[in-house]
Amino acid sequence: MRLVMTAIALATFSVVLLGPGSTWLSRARWVHRAPRAGVLLWQGMGLGAILSGIGAGLALAATRYRAGFAGGTRQLVGSLFSNHPLRGLGLYDALGLTLAADLLIVLGVVLGVFMVRTVRRRARHRDLLDLVTYTAPQYPGTEFLADRRAIAYCLPGFRPRIVVSDGTRTLLDRNELWAVIHHERGHAHAHHGLVMLPMASLSSLFPWIPYARYAPESMGLLLEMAADDFSSRRSERRLLAAALVEMAANGWAPSCAFAAAGTGALERVSRLLKADPTSKSSAVLASVLGLAAVLVPVSAALLT
Amino acid sequence: MRRLGDLERRVMDVLWEAEAPPMSGRDVSDSLPDRAYTTVLTVLERLRHKDFVRRTTQGRVHYFEAADSRDAYVAELMIEAMGASANRRAVLARFAASVSPAEAQALRDALQLGSGEDHRS
Repeated sequence: MRLVMTAIALATFSVVLLGPGSTWLSRARWVHRAPRAGVLLWQGMGLGAILSGIGAGLALAATRYRAGFAGGTRQLVGSLFSNHPLRGLGLYDALGLTLAADLLIVLGVVLGVFMVRTVRRRARHRDLLDLVTYTAPQYPGTEFLADRRAIAYCLPGFRPRIVVSDGTRTLLDRNELWAVIHHERGHAHAHHGLVMLPMASLSSLFPWIPYARYAPESMGLLLEMAADDFSSRRSERRLLAAALVEMAANGWAPSCAFAAAGTGALERVSRLLKADPTSKSSAVLASVLGLAAVLVPVSAALLT
Repeated sequence: MRRLGDLERRVMDVLWEAEAPPMSGRDVSDSLPDRAYTTVLTVLERLRHKDFVRRTTQGRVHYFEAADSRDAYVAELMIEAMGASANRRAVLARFAASVSPAEAQALRDALQLGSGEDHRS
């Protein structure tokens, strides 16, 4: 009976993380003062929700062995590999096992397919860059695209690439351009593309789950802020803010992709102009919450 | 690795600047005198597998030409980078997305407020 309670508690915890918890975090402004820890918090909540969901299923399936979570799970796994797998399973056991297996399979396969697709597209993008970009000796580690529209970006990968268009070179002065390059180096340095790799497809796949709806967007903004901080440690924050305004105001825009990105730019600019954009206590709070989200299901498994 | 990439680029440059495409492997190789004929052929085949080069055969001779112009490839990169395609965040991290004129004004106001003194128009 105790394991059934554990299963219910873990399932509830998972729902809280994916639902109200995610909605709350997506509106929290204090994480902007500790963007890297904020990203960790989102990751911790995602991992905690997955672990709790799987744990709930396993706990339900292991109930009949009356040997606690660890013992029951071990016997369950043992029976799966015995001559008569799943013999004598009841309704609860079957339900729990199915839930746990489904979570694993759906997440694994679906995310895997999207990640492979993304990695392939990045590879083609990289191959194309190899053929058409040019370099400038005064901007080492940066490649230029001969296009008059203003854009700057970092292509993630084992060796991330920083790309700037001619339009950006004409729009910004030398120091502003350096602030932008430092920002992109921040993305490259911390491999932010890897962080976003499993996230990008979530919002289109599970739009009815608040976590999937909010996490990619929020994490994207937090990573931009983290890269802003990286740049701020190497060149003046005001230059980066000015570059951001120029780029956002004069960049070529596809007609459908406005609003969400725009608010992000405004938040980043006002953040950069603050006297002290980062805060230790916010970082500590976000890290502790993120750790707790993972530790709850782990300790539930260990203690029951 | 990087050296092969550089050679791919030079081969594409030859094909893009060709006066009378398509070119035979021998023609391409003649334009790159510091490289062996077989090396150039290998690179051409690699580029063909990546769909950057098209090959046609007349008699027993293979002819090569660029699948698309340099400008078309730059445009493809820009479109993907500008986020016209879905799934943008995963492909790359763009510095700043474009905003509407009203939002641009709000941004300029914020910058002016934050800096107090000087401002460029």
